[in-house]
Amino acid sequence: MRFYFSLLLFVMAGLVVAFAPLPVQSIAPQERTFRINARQYAYSPSEIHVNPGDTVTFELVSTDVVHGLYVDGYGVSVEADPGQTATLTFTANKPGSFRFRCNVTCGAMHPFMIGKLTVGTNDWLYRAIGLALLAAISVFPLSSLFNRNRKKEVL
Amino acid sequence: MKHSELISRILIATVVLLTVATPLYIWKRTPLIHAQMSEAGGWTPGILKANAGEPLHLRFTSDDVIHGFAVGQLDMDSIDIEPGKVTDITLIFDKPGIYTFFCTRWCGVNHWRMRGTIEVSGSDPEPTPASVPLYVTLDVDIDAPHESPAVPDRQPSAIRGWELAQGLDMAALADPELYKSSSPYQIFQQLENTSHSDAEKWDMVAYSWQFNTTSEQLASGRQLYAQNCAACHGETGAGDGVFADDIADAGEASMESMSGAMASMMQSPANFTDPKRMLGASPAILQGKILRGGMGTGMPMWGSIFKEEQIWDLVAYLYSFQFEYEE
Amino acid sequence: MNRIELTRNRFLKNILVNRYPQLAVFMVMLVGYIFAILAGLIGTPVGSHNFSIVFVWIAWWAVLILVAVPFFGRGWCAICPIPLPGEWLQRGAVLAPPDKKPMWLNLRWPKALRNIWLQNISFLLLALFSSVLLTTPNITGIVLAVMLFGAIGLSTIFERRAFCRFLCPVGGFIGIYSQIAPIELRIKEKQVCASCIGKPCYNGSAAGYGCPWDVFPGGLTKNTYCGLCMECIRTCPHDNIAVSLRPFSADLAKPSTRMDEAFKAFIMFGSAMIYAGVLLGPWGFLKDAAYNVGTGAWFVYVLAFLVLIFGVLPGTFSLGFLSTKNPIPFKQRFASLSTSLIPLGLMFWVAFSLSFVMTNASYIMAALSDPLGLGWNLFGTADAVWQPMLTTILAPAQTLSLVGGLIWSARTAQKAANEVQVSSLPLIAYSFIATVIMLWLLL
Repeated sequence: MRFYFSLLLFVMAGLVVAFAPLPVQSIAPQERTFRINARQYAYSPSEIHVNPGDTVTFELVSTDVVHGLYVDGYGVSVEADPGQTATLTFTANKPGSFRFRCNVTCGAMHPFMIGKLTVGTNDWLYRAIGLALLAAISVFPLSSLFNRNRKKEVL
Repeated sequence: MKHSELISRILIATVVLLTVATPLYIWKRTPLIHAQMSEAGGWTPGILKANAGEPLHLRFTSDDVIHGFAVGQLDMDSIDIEPGKVTDITLIFDKPGIYTFFCTRWCGVNHWRMRGTIEVSGSDPEPTPASVPLYVTLDVDIDAPHESPAVPDRQPSAIRGWELAQGLDMAALADPELYKSSSPYQIFQQLENTSHSDAEKWDMVAYSWQFNTTSEQLASGRQLYAQNCAACHGETGAGDGVFADDIADAGEASMESMSGAMASMMQSPANFTDPKRMLGASPAILQGKILRGGMGTGMPMWGSIFKEEQIWDLVAYLYSFQFEYEE
Repeated sequence: MNRIELTRNRFLKNILVNRYPQLAVFMVMLVGYIFAILAGLIGTPVGSHNFSIVFVWIAWWAVLILVAVPFFGRGWCAICPIPLPGEWLQRGAVLAPPDKKPMWLNLRWPKALRNIWLQNISFLLLALFSSVLLTTPNITGIVLAVMLFGAIGLSTIFERRAFCRFLCPVGGFIGIYSQIAPIELRIKEKQVCASCIGKPCYNGSAAGYGCPWDVFPGGLTKNTYCGLCMECIRTCPHDNIAVSLRPFSADLAKPSTRMDEAFKAFIMFGSAMIYAGVLLGPWGFLKDAAYNVGTGAWFVYVLAFLVLIFGVLPGTFSLGFLSTKNPIPFKQRFASLSTSLIPLGLMFWVAFSLSFVMTNASYIMAALSDPLGLGWNLFGTADAVWQPMLTTILAPAQTLSLVGGLIWSARTAQKAANEVQVSSLPLIAYSFIATVIMLWLLL
């Protein structure tokens, strides 16, 4: 019985870590512009941080061949030829961490041409780490209780 | 051996043979023109043959990045050639001759070198005589330095110039032949005997330039510039395009034969926002440089690619980096 | 034991034992493999539109790491086409044993190499060149061809499936990971084998061939080296071999104490982290270093890779149980405790592969219709646009895999720690830290 009770406790703790609303920093949305240089096979800057609600503009400057920029999760994209800076504007209304990647085949390592956009805080990562911690801790009491259970059954 | 064994072996052998032979056969019989970055080989094959009046069916694929295809001196929309995919186009040439085809999507610093030729044979009842570029007719040395001895203090404005030019005989000042063969400085000098200040004179020069420029020309020039020139010369014309450093680096080796300020000027892309350089250059000189290219500086020769009117459009646009035009 | 014997079902057993269904699958696989070699060598050099890259490193890899290994253990080995041409030559038949077998050398694999070190090395070689391998069709084509012809060559010199058992880079990790699979091939009754004369399961008979994996089925206690080829079920005259369903991870209850396998666990789990960082991270200089083979940066990358895998990871791992007062030898402790990294490594690969596969799976449609980039449109999907798939479930799926892997690894650590009388706390802490790093790299 104790085992199931402890298990339930950990599962509930897990649900809390996964879904409990985290305090939201309310920073007034701004207009942010980033000039992103693209080359085979990296963006510069490759890690960008904005606040939720910001109106984000990416100015994509390709410096060798035609590159694109597609934002995971938002599904918006733009492509730029060298010499023709292209602009992408969108509202960062979804918080979290999103990869942006090249969506115009630009050579061999094209599938790995990746950057990272963080909108607000990467809550999901913290929750996942919380869950991992919970999981690592739970193994101790749960396994001894489980074994005790099993021993009782065998007896 | 047992029947089942024999049949299985025959089946395996047949299937494997078909798997190898069929794609190989189809591959051998699929003539494709491969587009690669210039450093990797450019166009393969690079010389095509056709007959005047007969359709030429071409199939392209890119082996690395996105390229484009267009034929110089023809009125055609360019097509994109995507990596790993096949694009078809059918061309018909009215006149025989040697045409140049070229890549239309920037594919590296040597993108402009990605050219090939189409040899179109046939008889031509009305052969077009080759036109002599203006700088040759005028016997102008387009490689000679063309620094303007005087530069304006502020950006000359054609709008102000228009107001000032009321009452002046613009027909003489803005004669197209005069426009093409004179640098802005030379027109500035022609206004010496008027009572205007230097700044006002420059404004009138700007206006005389606008007089010889239509908004269609500017629009066409702007697009040509963005697609063909901005990568090296910069989107703002300042000679700071994405490839400017690469060209300067590539030029270092050949700098041994030159010296001083001339050397560094020769190797990095021209700065069209520099009034010293631009105001001393006549449209004929600019047209000449675009036609002929830069003799090892990295400036491509566009003679076989652009039609004459396209180059004049481009030249007109280049002066818009110096003069404020009415939109 | 909680096993469900699948081969009790007559229909299922028949499908496994009858040579025709297996041959049909073999032919499909062999054709696909040969076509992949051809596509790599003559098809478009653009990886995303070439059958060899898309179907080997996206489609096949996804099925392998997400389905075949976790659920079927060495299930891929059961249908892999690489050993087939060599084995048919070696056996002198494609179906049942012929009356007269051909005289090949049939040498026994040298004793010093009867371990998985060569497989560790071959996997590492592929890993160090992976950026080029995964993106360049003709390199993939060449590697596939080398494996095929290498296997054929080895079959004419050595007995059984020498390539599969001792060289294949993929087989190396499928083997150790198969220990967690919920499927197994084992004998039913020990006494039956004890009184069996001739042991046709190992030596062959008129009904079939001796185990090509050089395993004595009577002594099989783990999945690691059994390739699920079904020969022993065909030859056993006493119907004493069964394929059964069982709980996940059953083989890890008896942790292996082999150093080659222990290091394999580190190679796999370390590579997953390096791949996640280099390939899926935003750090361009790492990708440059990994891709530009032969440059100074690449040598530094190789050195860092090897130092991490053979130094840092096992070194920090060992800190948790260095106590000299422990009666059990250090090597034994190290080897058996490192089995806790097997479920962790597998889930790391699952999490990494989910991201890569979901992002690029859409290339499969185009590659199916135009496998060589010659302008074909076999199924009408040649113009399919690239579009990442299932992006909303990606983060939850990765989190579940990684946290699930951590729990699994922690349980395994506890059981192994118990056996060698150490505390599992440092091991679980180690796995936790690695999981956090992986979460940070992927999310």
